[in-house]
Amino acid sequence: MAASLFYFFVFPGILFAATVGALLSWFDRKISARVQFRKGPPLLQPFYDFFKLLLVKETILPKQGSPLVFLLAPVLAVFGAAMSGVFILLPLFNITTGFRGDLLVIFYLLTVPSFSYIIGALASGNPLAAVGGSREMKLILGYEVTFLLVIAGVIMKCGQHFDLNTIIQTQQDGSPFIGSVSGVILFIVAIFCVQAKLALVPFDMPEAEAEITEGIFIEYSGAAYAMIKLAKYIMFFILPAFIVALLMGGFNLHGINILWAVLKVIAVVLLLTLIKNTNPRLKIKQAIKFFMIWMNLLAVIALVLIAFGL
Amino acid sequence: MDLIFSLIFLPVAVGLLLFLIPDKFRTVKGIIALLIIINTGLLSASIYTFGNQVLNLGEISPTLGLDISDLNISPHFLEQISFNQDSLSRLIIVFISLFAFLIALYSLVYIKEGRVRNYYPFLLITLGCAYGAVLSDNMLLFLAFWGALGLTLYKLIHGHDEESSATAKKTLILIGASDSIMILGIAIIWKMTGSLSMTETSLQATNILTVVAFFSLLIGSFTKAGAFPFHTWVPDYAQCAPASSSAYLPASLDKLLGIYFLARITTGMFKMSDWMSVLLLSIGVISIIAAVMMALVQHNYKRLLGFHAVSQVGYMILGFALGSMIGVAAGLFHMVNNAIYKSGLFLSAGSVEYRTGKEEIDDLGGLAKAMPVTFISTLIFAMSISGVPPFNGFASKWMIYQGIIDFGSGPGIASKLWVLWLALAVLGSALTLASFIKLVGGIFLSRRRPEFAKVREVPVLMWLPQAVLALICVVFGVFATGYVVPKLFMPVSGTFAFVGFWNSSLVSWLVIVSILAGIIVYLASSLKRFRTEDSFIGGEKIQDRTQYATTEFYKTFGEF
Repeated sequence: MAASLFYFFVFPGILFAATVGALLSWFDRKISARVQFRKGPPLLQPFYDFFKLLLVKETILPKQGSPLVFLLAPVLAVFGAAMSGVFILLPLFNITTGFRGDLLVIFYLLTVPSFSYIIGALASGNPLAAVGGSREMKLILGYEVTFLLVIAGVIMKCGQHFDLNTIIQTQQDGSPFIGSVSGVILFIVAIFCVQAKLALVPFDMPEAEAEITEGIFIEYSGAAYAMIKLAKYIMFFILPAFIVALLMGGFNLHGINILWAVLKVIAVVLLLTLIKNTNPRLKIKQAIKFFMIWMNLLAVIALVLIAFGL
Repeated sequence: MDLIFSLIFLPVAVGLLLFLIPDKFRTVKGIIALLIIINTGLLSASIYTFGNQVLNLGEISPTLGLDISDLNISPHFLEQISFNQDSLSRLIIVFISLFAFLIALYSLVYIKEGRVRNYYPFLLITLGCAYGAVLSDNMLLFLAFWGALGLTLYKLIHGHDEESSATAKKTLILIGASDSIMILGIAIIWKMTGSLSMTETSLQATNILTVVAFFSLLIGSFTKAGAFPFHTWVPDYAQCAPASSSAYLPASLDKLLGIYFLARITTGMFKMSDWMSVLLLSIGVISIIAAVMMALVQHNYKRLLGFHAVSQVGYMILGFALGSMIGVAAGLFHMVNNAIYKSGLFLSAGSVEYRTGKEEIDDLGGLAKAMPVTFISTLIFAMSISGVPPFNGFASKWMIYQGIIDFGSGPGIASKLWVLWLALAVLGSALTLASFIKLVGGIFLSRRRPEFAKVREVPVLMWLPQAVLALICVVFGVFATGYVVPKLFMPVSGTFAFVGFWNSSLVSWLVIVSILAGIIVYLASSLKRFRTEDSFIGGEKIQDRTQYATTEFYKTFGEF
């Protein structure tokens, strides 16, 4: 139990994942700034943001709706992010304990933060938040099947194993899955799914600042918003790490290979950031169409290729 | 074996006697019914102390103190009237008792003047016949009880206007027609094997007659459980019948019985061929997707729940179509879970209707503060049905999914298409989540309407059953992998090892720990200085009717 608590709260759970995620989000902001010919924030800016919200800012509760659920939702979001983070990162760091979750568990836990945001948004009773919640839910419906098809492709490549340890081991014994045609297609699809899961442009319509003023988060402030930030930092690290584990051979933690592990994650984040900075926001209908038709088509092509062993 | 007889005849006999008491003394009838249900419920729990056995009337009659030897009945006839109690029927019996008790408790307040005439007599007769159907081994005996359930289903709906009478008739016709098709199947089995016993039947689906028999029985099971394409009565029934009737029959007992019979057909009486699995799996995913799509566009919340009652059956069919031990256990687990949260949802819907008198989601809003217990339990049911970990719906869906992945390594066509089954099942689960966000958001969250300022929580007899069901949802989810599945479902399906990894108890502890940590963070940080403000909508002025209609949530999907 004590070991589980350590895994959950310290390493590789909330503390570690959130710290790395915050640094990655600094990287994202810096790159975005450079793309827009700005200077960008200092390294510790994400931490300043977080602690200011947590310690300094006052919390405003909504008069309408249900304040209890409104406050509970961020906590559940952090839980979902941290729990899936533990299940993704433990195999990546090659820590084998009895504390494991398979791909299906990770897949479902990764939806928990989005679900909590929606419930929290609706609990605020704000009509704009409801607009954001409805968009977030529609976005989930759009990418959920696509994301599952990516995972199914990896399961097929691995011979019907759906345990992350085995998947990483198979890739390290052989070659990373991305080294094949189907692997490249799966990688492209996975990148877009992660883009949508993180609600980054062009899939940021639930938050759309200029239009519905942060949408699902409009009523959040103070400590509650700090927790949402925390969940977002964690997600910003574990989703790229998940792609690395599924398709890019995971981490190898011997000597110089550590650098490779770091570079793999940074490369994925860089890709996400560049997509974010070079695209305008889509309408929700376009986004659903994008996933439902084009991305699913690509994923199915990849699955057919895998069935033929390519 | 007088236990079987008291289980079947006590409720039916008391039910018939209750017809004599006029409906004016409704509460008295209710209390009598509740006492009988408690009594039979305790009896039914003791069924777990007996081993597996098939008994016929010839063996039973001496223990009842009856002397039928001089009645000149042929011994062959007595052998035909046989009862079966094995681990499957025990499981179903115990849950039937549980639901009957909770729903009878709820009905004491909920069933008011003019709702349904003779509600309690039919409640009791339903209970006895349900026990009878599960316990009988002889197929004709089974059919007799099964048919009686169709009749009580018809009588538990209140035909007060043209629409509800039409619904009642539709239900009766569909259920009755499916029963008569089952007679055909039973006749074929009798012709082929010369026996009417379920336990003795074991047919390979090779010739056309066996296939016809299989499908005839399947139609009976599907109509009862409400699977595609025989589901049309379920949403209508859910909309028109009182919520407690919907919770009692279509949501819990009919699911238990329909899926019980499906389990008997697919695991014992017939050996399925490959194309039959493909067909069953297709029916499963079509049920899931078609029904949940319909649910997404509903405005009437009871009707919405009715469509979900159809959609969830798809998952159970998937489990049984897999044919593996984990599939059967997952199907049964999902059946029980579904009965728990679906009857709970119907009870909550009844509570909302009881206090507000409204049936459209559009007319409601912001009841979370007014009805806290109903709200929290509905939220738990909604999270369970949409498969949010660590609730029970997630545990059973997870088992079904890993059953599908495991099935994918098999040789047949059905196995090659595993990604299709898995993707559609997951899509159905996401759509379920969407639909319940609309329901919970529309009824309990969002802005409260001025006319509901005086709405209060329902009486304790009504919220207690909901709270108990919600608690069971949590408990079954938390102890799923360590305790519930091995103890309750593995005796039925056979012992197997999980393919995946999910430590439900540990994760649930972590949920509690993180909620506590969250509370500490809130208390320690700036929450002391909180203030309450009305919504900010970008500088516009909030008006009385400012809100976003949650029913329009998924309009984009309708446009596709």
